Order: sequence, then structure tokens, then C-alpha cells
Amino acid sequence: MDNVAIQLNNVTVRFRIPHEKIPTLQEYAIRWLKRRSVSFTDFNALNNVSFSIKQGETVGIIGANGAGKSTLLKVISRVIRPTHGRVFLRGRIAPLLELGAGFDYEMTGRENIFLNGAVLGFSRKDTASRLDRIVEFSGISEFIDAPIRTYSSGMVARLGFAIATDIQPDVLIIDEILAVGDVDFQKKSAARILQYHNDGSTILLVSHDLDSIKNLCNRVIWLEHGSVKIAGRVDDIVEKYSLETLS
Amino acid sequence: MLEYDSAKRPPPAIDEFLQLVRYRDLILLMVGNILKNRYKRSLLGVFWMLLNPLLQTIVLSIAFGTIFKSSLPNYAVYLLSGLLAWNFITQTTQYAMSTMAYGGGLLKRIYIPRATYIIAAVGNGLINLIVSIGALLIIIIFLNHAITPAWFFLPVSIMILAIFSLGLALLLSTASVFFTDTVDIYQVLVQALFFLTPIMYPPSILPLEWSQLLILNPFVILIEIFRIPIHANHLPDFSLIVNAVSLALITLVAGWVLFTSKADQLAYRL
Repeated sequence: MDNVAIQLNNVTVRFRIPHEKIPTLQEYAIRWLKRRSVSFTDFNALNNVSFSIKQGETVGIIGANGAGKSTLLKVISRVIRPTHGRVFLRGRIAPLLELGAGFDYEMTGRENIFLNGAVLGFSRKDTASRLDRIVEFSGISEFIDAPIRTYSSGMVARLGFAIATDIQPDVLIIDEILAVGDVDFQKKSAARILQYHNDGSTILLVSHDLDSIKNLCNRVIWLEHGSVKIAGRVDDIVEKYSLETLS
Repeated sequence: MLEYDSAKRPPPAIDEFLQLVRYRDLILLMVGNILKNRYKRSLLGVFWMLLNPLLQTIVLSIAFGTIFKSSLPNYAVYLLSGLLAWNFITQTTQYAMSTMAYGGGLLKRIYIPRATYIIAAVGNGLINLIVSIGALLIIIIFLNHAITPAWFFLPVSIMILAIFSLGLALLLSTASVFFTDTVDIYQVLVQALFFLTPIMYPPSILPLEWSQLLILNPFVILIEIFRIPIHANHLPDFSLIVNAVSLALITLVAGWVLFTSKADQLAYRL
């Protein structure tokens, strides 16, 4: 129990989908006057999911579109709270799902480092002390004082990656293998993640690319219709999964 | 080591507050960026913030000043001080609500305290208000209107306005996430209320039975608490202060409790 990094106990995430379009107060009032209640369908994006990941493990998550992978990452990274059940997380989490969340395209690269740093929960002082290192890793020091609307999408992603991974996180969440920037930068970012892995970061990797799952993960969790179908050793599960998806 | 346990957390009203303290630098940056973005590309820069209320006052003073000349000395001061309080409340709440209803996308993508945008909107409104007081000072000096020690009460008035606006913004933002037309309904209400609140006119022009109804309009108290020290040059009555403080605090507590109790649903709804 002491070396648990992520633990989910019977986690359910329920979305409520209204049968008609999003209610406005006006429609709601009309309906209320007609004594007709708004009807909903409940949809469980995650259904009673339980698993536990130890510190330092690299775990892959596979499943078809709509199986609940993104919802799972959101519930772990605290964006949504579970409807039922418990999510437990130890340590600082770096969700690499949303590189550059909160970037303001009118602002310069430098200003955005502070902004994105603050979105990730770092204080201004902390970001300032690491500014040079972030700029250097992103490799865009010549343009750092230009508004990022002038950047290419690769440059924006590089900056986002450099900010999000500057400090070693305890838990790293990766949605699809990061193809950020050019070949050189991809190598550089992969090396950084590998180094964090060797230094003991827990990694949660969502991918459709079974080869990279096989290469990187010790364990795999297979999601289907919001539930864990099976979890276990990577070779067994990837084999079953590819058999099923191919047939 | 940092831990997150969805099952064990303080009550939402307290948890949200603690998180906001943790993310205080984000709020400061957002306030700064709102200002930078708004004025970056305009030639006159921050001077627009001064010019806007000045022009508004000049136009309205020319239009209505003569009508109220006898009952209201220094009409421009009366008008602008009321207008500043009014604009602060309505612009802050409208801005907060629209960023939540249409721009809250970030809340769906990454964890930040849910009230971040709303607090930033109030902070932005406060800066606008303080700069606009500069414009008011220009008019006061131009008209030779007295500045008395009653001005020392203004920070209290501004605090009251800010607390009320934050509370109202929280209430309206919660509503707007559940019912998108709240934004439109509020806009219409604000327009109507502007004419039902003595901002452009003195309360004395209303027939007696009407002016008694003004007690029902909470904005009257808030406008008065800001306007009296500036235009009438004395402290507000004690009862007015008590009313204004109670109104502001009740609104804030109601808004905070409602917003934080519904905040978990925001990411599902936005």
C-alpha cells in the first residue's frame, strides 16, 4: 500500500445526456409549466473501474474508441471527479494530454511559459528560476519574445512539452506517443521521458500503437465499454487484443 | 508528498478556497493578461481606460445636465461616480459569466480551481475602476468640486462593491453553465435596471410611491455607498453601511456555497 502511485476503487463516471438539446432556462420553464420533466439518459463512461499502479511502473491502457480511455485519464488528472468510487494519487502529476493548456496566442513565448506554468500549479518564482532551462530545451530561444501566434504548431508543442516536463513528475500521463516537433526534438523528448522512467516516475500510457505499448510497458489494462476487461502482463494482453481487433 | 484522494477532501467551499490560494499566481497572471490583451493593439493604450468614462460623462452631461441643474449641483460628478459603481458591478459580472459559459474550455482540459476565471474577472474590474477614478478626479478638479476626508471611506465602498460583484458573478456563472440563456436574460435585466436605478437622475424626481420601491432594488444601496462620499462629501449613514455590508456578504456566501457545491459538475457540463 505504501508504494502505490495511482489507485482506483470502483470508479464510476456517469454522464447525463439530455434527450433533447441543451436546456435553456426558457425551455426549462416551458417544460415545467407543461408539467413535463426533462428526460435524460445516464451513460457510464467508466463503470466500476478498480486497479492499482505501483510507483515506478509503466502501464499501458488500450481499448477501442469510446472505451473510456480519455475519461480515465481525466478522472486521474483531476479534471473530473468520479460520480462514485475513489481515485487516489500520490505525488505530482504531469498530464501530457494537453500540452500548452491555457496558452494565449497573443502573448509572447516567455509570457506563456509563466502562464502555462501557473496553470500547471507552479508559482511565478518557481517558473522564473527555471525559465532559461525551459527555453533552452524547447529550442526556440530566438523567438521567445515573439507572440506565439507567429509560431508553427510544432514550435508551440515543443514549448508546451518543455514546460510540462521541466521538473521530473512523480506520475506522467501520456496520451499517444508524443510526436512533438521534428525528428531531433522527438528524440530529445523520448530521451527525457525514458530518463524520468529510469529515475522512478510512474508512467501511464494510452496508445493505439501496440508496438510502443509492448516496448515500453510492463503491464496493460484493457478497457471495454467503460470497464476493465482484463489487466495483466503486456505480452498476453496485447496478443489477445490484436487477435480480437483484427477478427 | 503531494496526495490527491477524491474520497477524502475538505468540504468544497473550503477546498476551493485552499486551491485558489495555491494558484494565486495564475489569477494574477490572468488579470494582467486580460489588461495587456485589451490594450496592446490600440494606439492610445491605457488612456482609453480614462477616455472612455470621460467621453461618456461629457455626452450625458450635455444631454441631461441642464434638466437636473437645480436639484443636482455638479451633475457630471454625480453621474460619473454612479456610473463607475454601476459599470464595475455589471461589467464584472457579465465578463465573469461569459468567460465561464463560453470560454471555460480550460476547465475541461486540465485541473485549475473552478473559480479562477471569476476571481480574475473581479480583479480586472477593480483595476478598471481604479483607473476610472482617475478620470473622475479630472472632472472633479475641472468643476472645482470639493474633495473631503469622506474620500477615505472609498476603499471600504470599493471592497463592498467587489464582494457583492464576486458573489453575484458566482451565482450567475453557476446558472449560466446550467442554462445558457442566463447570459441573455441578465443582459436584458441589466439594461432595464439601469433606468430603474438613480444613476442618470436624482431619486427625488420619482413620484413618492415609486421612490419607496427603490428599497427593493439592491443596486441603489451599492451605488449610494460609492457615490455619497464623492458627490455629497460626507460619510454614508450608518444604516446604509450596515445594509450594504450585509447585502454584499450574503451575496458572496450564497454565491460561494452554490458555486463550489456545483463546481464538480462544471467539467461535465461546460
